[in-house]
Amino acid sequence: MNATSLDTFALLAPEIVLVLAALVAYLGGAFVGLRFGWLVAAAGIATAMIVTRGQSPNPTFSAGVTIDAFSMFVRWTVLSLGLLLCFVQAGDLFVSAVSRGPGLHRGSTCEEAGTFLLLLTGLSLVGVAGDLVLLFAGLELVSIPTYILLALKRTDARGQEASLKYFFLSLVASAVFLYALVCLYGMGGSTDLQAIAARIRSEATSRTVQTLLPLAAGLAIVGAAFRLAAVPMHFYAPDVYEGTSPGNAALLSTLPKLAGIVILARLVALLSPAASPDLLWRIMVMLAAVTMTVGNVMALGQRNLRRLLACSSIAHAGYLLVGVAAAASGSETATVAGGFSATLFYLATYAVATIGLFGGIAYLGHRWPEWTSGGGPRPPREEITTVEDLDGLSATNPVAAFAIAVFLLSLAGIPPLPGFWGKLSLAFAALGVDWSAAITADSRRAWFVGLAVVLVLNAAIASAYYLRVIAAMYFKSTKRGVQADGGLAAGIAMLACLVVVGAVSIQPRGLFVAASRAGDSLVPAAAPAAGISSTPSDSLVSQGP
Amino acid sequence: MNGFSPSTHLLLTIAAPLVGAVVAWVLGSRGTSAVRQSAAVTSCVTLALAGWLIVRFLAEPATASGLPFALVELPWLTEGIFDVRFSLGLDGLSLWMFGLAALLSLTAVLVSWDAITDRPVGFYVLLLVLEAAMLGVFAARDVVLFYVFFEFTLVPLFFLIGIWGHDERRRAAVKFFIYTLAGSVFTFLGLLAIVLWHTAHTNTVTFDIEALTDGMKVHPLPMTAAGGWLQMIVFLALLAGFAVKVPIVPFHTWLPLAHVEAPTGGSVDLAGVLLKLGIYGFLRFSMPMLPEATALAAPWLFGLGVAGIIYGGLVALVQTDLKRLIAYSSVSHMGYIVMGLFALTPVATEGATLQLVNHGLSSAGLFALVGMIYERFHTRNIASLGGIASKAPWLAAFFMLFTFSSIGLPGLNGFVGEFMILAGSFQRAWSGVAANWQSAYLAMALLAVGGVVLGAWYMLWAVERVFFGGSREPPRSHGHDSSAAHGGHSQGHGGHGGHGGHGGHGPADHAAHDRCDLRWHELAAVLPLAVFCLWIGLAPATFLAPAAASVRKATAASSAAFAARMHTTEPAATVAQAQMP
Repeated sequence: MNATSLDTFALLAPEIVLVLAALVAYLGGAFVGLRFGWLVAAAGIATAMIVTRGQSPNPTFSAGVTIDAFSMFVRWTVLSLGLLLCFVQAGDLFVSAVSRGPGLHRGSTCEEAGTFLLLLTGLSLVGVAGDLVLLFAGLELVSIPTYILLALKRTDARGQEASLKYFFLSLVASAVFLYALVCLYGMGGSTDLQAIAARIRSEATSRTVQTLLPLAAGLAIVGAAFRLAAVPMHFYAPDVYEGTSPGNAALLSTLPKLAGIVILARLVALLSPAASPDLLWRIMVMLAAVTMTVGNVMALGQRNLRRLLACSSIAHAGYLLVGVAAAASGSETATVAGGFSATLFYLATYAVATIGLFGGIAYLGHRWPEWTSGGGPRPPREEITTVEDLDGLSATNPVAAFAIAVFLLSLAGIPPLPGFWGKLSLAFAALGVDWSAAITADSRRAWFVGLAVVLVLNAAIASAYYLRVIAAMYFKSTKRGVQADGGLAAGIAMLACLVVVGAVSIQPRGLFVAASRAGDSLVPAAAPAAGISSTPSDSLVSQGP
Repeated sequence: MNGFSPSTHLLLTIAAPLVGAVVAWVLGSRGTSAVRQSAAVTSCVTLALAGWLIVRFLAEPATASGLPFALVELPWLTEGIFDVRFSLGLDGLSLWMFGLAALLSLTAVLVSWDAITDRPVGFYVLLLVLEAAMLGVFAARDVVLFYVFFEFTLVPLFFLIGIWGHDERRRAAVKFFIYTLAGSVFTFLGLLAIVLWHTAHTNTVTFDIEALTDGMKVHPLPMTAAGGWLQMIVFLALLAGFAVKVPIVPFHTWLPLAHVEAPTGGSVDLAGVLLKLGIYGFLRFSMPMLPEATALAAPWLFGLGVAGIIYGGLVALVQTDLKRLIAYSSVSHMGYIVMGLFALTPVATEGATLQLVNHGLSSAGLFALVGMIYERFHTRNIASLGGIASKAPWLAAFFMLFTFSSIGLPGLNGFVGEFMILAGSFQRAWSGVAANWQSAYLAMALLAVGGVVLGAWYMLWAVERVFFGGSREPPRSHGHDSSAAHGGHSQGHGGHGGHGGHGGHGPADHAAHDRCDLRWHELAAVLPLAVFCLWIGLAPATFLAPAAASVRKATAASSAAFAARMHTTEPAATVAQAQMP
């Protein structure tokens, strides 16, 4: 099938809209004195959503981009999360921009908003990339704006430490991932993912594939692990989250994870039917188990709220890996597809709850210090940083306390909240691997049953620290009220997330169906269109070397 | 009677508390009394709906053979390998528990009438949400729906204990939540494993409990080394959650803390309904779905039940806190139920099922009355209390009624249940086990009889110290320690002499003190429970008959598997249908 460049433009229309909106924000901020960058960003994302709505999955097309159910799911997730994050990031800036009053950091809002839009563009490109070069370019378009956003938001020593730490580690991770891509190219002789897949499958027993495949898988997993904040690349998360704003922490705990999952899902779909998946799923199972346990155990001792949530986000990276591991097991088609869709579903539920949580913290902003009216001048307000700062929130700000409690319970996986449905599908995916086989020592079945047990045990451990935050808000009293000066926009984001969480609790089916379509489209045998698409990739292979 | 279908009726009954919760929340600005009145009206309406539904259930002849009634089925998460449905219905197993949940929710509202002054809106909203969840869990016919309700009950109770509890409420709430959750996540995996097994072997996806039960009969989980002992593994997974919920000794350590620290309303719901969820889970899932594993585990669980009876009783004997004593008595009484369940004879299992209701009534009544005593004297320390019978004769009378019910006095409900459990257990020990097990079984059954004496000892001794003897004047302070110290000091004060000598007692205090008997809402809280205690005691067949078919259906497979293990014939089903005294 011959694709003209015009077709490619049409397929990438949502991304192009995002870039145009970013340009408007940058240029408007620099030359016209535009004051409401985040409004531009929100409008750009909304336009991109409208454009995306007009598109339909077209898996037969393969010229660098793949528009299948999976990439459409990623796009929708990126845009929806982007819209929510936009509000969290904006904080009070919507208000101050509209009211033309003096606002903090107002000078940089347009740059921030533009950079944020570019980040979303990159993430969306990662989702649609069917080509190694575009995939890497997309990933870098995620990373570089992240560095800028981290550096823009905070100017104190902690903030600098956070942005530098993230910067250097991210560079290393990108380099490692690039090596993985090089290995893939070495095996496939092409940059097209489907061509590589076909080549690996046909030459599964060759020496090149036998040597390079484990290497590529290992390097790619390390590269993805950084973005997921999964073991062994997890240790930066607490420091970075602590050193940045709640809005940035919300961003860091969701969007890079999406990128990491997309990379892993594409690679697993690519590699798993090939020669040696045994090693792949073993690594994934171990990573998943270790990551969730490490994250949860680290979180148990945290007092700082953002560090606690950073550890929780590590743990959730582990949960996300459960589905990918099940998909990598190379078991029956239904299990593989179920693994992918469970991960995607879980990711969406996790992201909404996390953004809502950080939105809530951003909205609360500061709290009054301990002060009695007779005791002289009022000391300066303090930013909400520790769990104790939320003491008695149910009395001082009941709406925020309720929302935060719901998000925490959802993350803990308490039914009927979305996190429960997510854990249900993950546990189902893990238990479903080789279900009819007997459990014998070191069988694939035994590994995955063990993984399911570790998963639910971790859910119980995690509830300990989520409950600690809820207990602080509801069971303690305080004389120090919160100020809730973080801005209306962050509050709106929090409430929007609450509405989404409520809707998914009552009717999880819609999101679940979308996630399973996306999961199905990653499995060649499950998607009927895959048979057709293998023809052009075969021809590409023959052109390759 | 044909105004609306039973299905609508059931849905309405479960939705009513939720509607009431919204109403209570809206009325929040009108003050405490509006909120509590609306909560009371809501639970009355729910109770009326539930009662009427039970009447309709009993009027339906098909239900006598164990068929479910009032079926509701709405698709929920039906996609691919998931077929989760919002399906509800009642059968003989759930009928009385459903009614009990509705009844005790009203009790919980009424006993909180004056006790809850801090943030009453939140309290009553949570209480009503808890009621909806409790009704839902007994009516659920879908595995996932059951688990959703089962686990969700933790959330309202967590807040009820943590916000409105006593001194150590925070620790109690968190411990209760985590302990129970840690157990029930394994139950979750076990249930999923059953569903997956069924899917793999029948190629039909279903989460329906009844369909799964039937499926497990055709394709049982393997109980051989070649099959990986899968049935036993799944049984243990289910057991993890249910054993914590019951609680079976040694998984009981969360219970005394949670009970003692919970507000009275929370204790009533916890003891009356939520502890029963574990037993209900055995009856609903483990016994019918995993009969061979149940048969293998039955002797051990039977033993753990007896251990619970003795251990709970001995610990209750030495308690100084009245509420903690009753909490440990719950451990002991739940031991009887576990023992009866795993004796696996028809008489014992039916007795255990009835005893679920009996214990729900008596322990809820006792907790309610202890709450009332605490409201009056601000202490639960047995040593500081005394002679309450002369000040509050009705309170004492009800307390003694529930005590007698709890220790199994003939004529009251507890006797019927305990008698059936013990009779069934002896039947099992005498003629239902292999020779090498017989002496162990007999010893355990005899120990359980000893437990009856032990139960009478600690309960009657506590009644004697609290309600009779010299009247003591507990200090009107909230501190436990000071009251304990004082209680010892004022031993010598006889009669009303204790009134003097304490500073800060205004005339109003004295006035309140002199008429400290039950008020109307307190009477309304305990009277229905007392009526049912007598009713079940006098006419147990009314309550046994509707459940009998379902209980037998649930336990038949396990019973047969046990008999096969022990190479004996099944004990005859000589159920004392109506021959109870």
